[in-house]
Amino acid sequence: MNGRSEQYRLVVVLLLLVVLQFALRPFLGDFRSSPDLLLLALLVYAIRARPGQAAVAGFLVGLVVDSLTPVAFGAGMLAHTVVGYLAAWGKAVFFAENLIVNAGFFFVGTWLRDLLVLVAGRHMVQSAMAWQLVFWSPIKALTTAIVGVVVLMLFRRWLPIRITE
Amino acid sequence: MTFAPDRFSSRRDSLAFIVCLLLSVAARVAPPAVQDTVSRAVSGTALAPFLAVQHQVELIKASRTRVTALSVLRDSALVSAFTAQALREENERLREILQLTARLPVRHVAAEVLHQSGPASGLMVVLSAGSGDGVVERAPVVVAGGLVGVVHSVTPRSSVALLWTHPDFRVSAMTLDGSAFGIVAPRRAEGPNVMMLELSGVPYQERVPIGTTIYTSGLGGARGVYPRGIPIGQIVAVGEEQEGWSRTYVVQPAVHPAAVSHVVVLIGPAIDLREAFTEPVP
Repeated sequence: MNGRSEQYRLVVVLLLLVVLQFALRPFLGDFRSSPDLLLLALLVYAIRARPGQAAVAGFLVGLVVDSLTPVAFGAGMLAHTVVGYLAAWGKAVFFAENLIVNAGFFFVGTWLRDLLVLVAGRHMVQSAMAWQLVFWSPIKALTTAIVGVVVLMLFRRWLPIRITE
Repeated sequence: MTFAPDRFSSRRDSLAFIVCLLLSVAARVAPPAVQDTVSRAVSGTALAPFLAVQHQVELIKASRTRVTALSVLRDSALVSAFTAQALREENERLREILQLTARLPVRHVAAEVLHQSGPASGLMVVLSAGSGDGVVERAPVVVAGGLVGVVHSVTPRSSVALLWTHPDFRVSAMTLDGSAFGIVAPRRAEGPNVMMLELSGVPYQERVPIGTTIYTSGLGGARGVYPRGIPIGQIVAVGEEQEGWSRTYVVQPAVHPAAVSHVVVLIGPAIDLREAFTEPVP
C-alpha cells in the first residue's frame, strides 16, 4: 500500500465517521453518553498526523462543534486544538501501537476534551459540571473508546496504523 | 496531508498550535454578535448538508416509529415488551405534540430536536426549523408538558434553542391563580440526571404550597418573550430564605430536555396559553 492510497483511505474513514455522526445521532440514545464520532475522527487522524496538522484539524472540529452548540463559542475550538495537538504529540512520544493502548488513548482524549470545554466555557453551574465530569464524561469516553476500537479493527487494512494486540 | 514516522513537535507544529490557540481565544472573547455571525455562517453553509441528513434521519425514525407502532398494535405478540414500551412512549410523545398543536391558539412551528454529542449539548440544541419556517430569535420552545427553552439564533433551515438548563436562562413565573410571582432560573445539579430549577424573589409573606404548579407569567404583554400559562414545573421544596424579605423554592422541571425529540416553537404574539397546556407530570 503506497502513501497516497493510504491517505485517501484515511480520508474516506474520517469522512465516514463525520457523516455517521449526523446520520446515526437519532439512534444513539442519550447525547450525554453516546459516542462522539467527530472527536473520534480527530483522534484517529491525530494518530498519524504531525502535531501541527492535528492542532489545525482540532481547531476545525472545534469550530464545527461550537457552531452546532454555541453555548461558549471558542471553548470547543480551544479544547479540540489542545486535544488534537497533545494526541499527535503524545502518540509520537509515549504510546505503543497496541489496541488497548489505543482504546485508552480514545478514552483519555474524550474525557480531556470534555474537561477543557467545561473549564474554558465556564457555562455550567459547579455541581452540574462535577456530575458531567465524574459521571457522563467517563461514560461518553468509554462508548467513544469502544467505537474507536471497532473502527480500528474494521479498517485495520485501510488505516496506516499498526495495531499489535 | 503528510505522514511522518518521526513526528515529534517541530517549530512549524508549535507555530500552528499557537496560532490555533490564539484564534480559539479570540473566538472565545469575541463579542456575542461576532460569535453568532460565525456560528450561523458555519451551520448555514458547511454544516447545512450534515444537518439536513440528520433531519431526514429523524423524520425517517419518526415515520418508522409510527409504522412499527401500527404493526405492534396488529401483532403485539411478536414484539418484545421492551421494544413495545419504547415505541409506545415515542408514539405518545408525538400524539401529545399533535394534540398540543391543535389546542394552541397562537401561530407555531413543529420541529425535530437534532441532539449533538458535545459536553454542552444539554444546554443548547439544534432545531430542524429555521427562519424559512417562520422561526425567529427569542421564540419560546415548548412541548405538551411545558417549557423547554427559547430560540437563541436562527439560520434559514435550522435554529439553536437555549434550554432551561443553561445558566443564563431566566423566566418570570407565577402560580396559576396569580397569587405569587418570582423569577425561575436553573439550580445546582443534585445528581447526574437531576437538574432542578429555582423560583426566587417570592415575597416572604406569600407561601407557595409544595406541589403547586408554576407557569410563565407573561409579564411583558403580547410583546414579551414568554406567553402567560406555559407550565414550568412543580414546587417540591422550600429553598433558601431571606428572613423577612423573600423565599426561594425548588422547582422540579416539567420537561427534561434529554428526553425531548419533537418540539413546538411559538412564533405568534405572547397571548395567554393556560388552557392549551395539560398539567405537567412531576
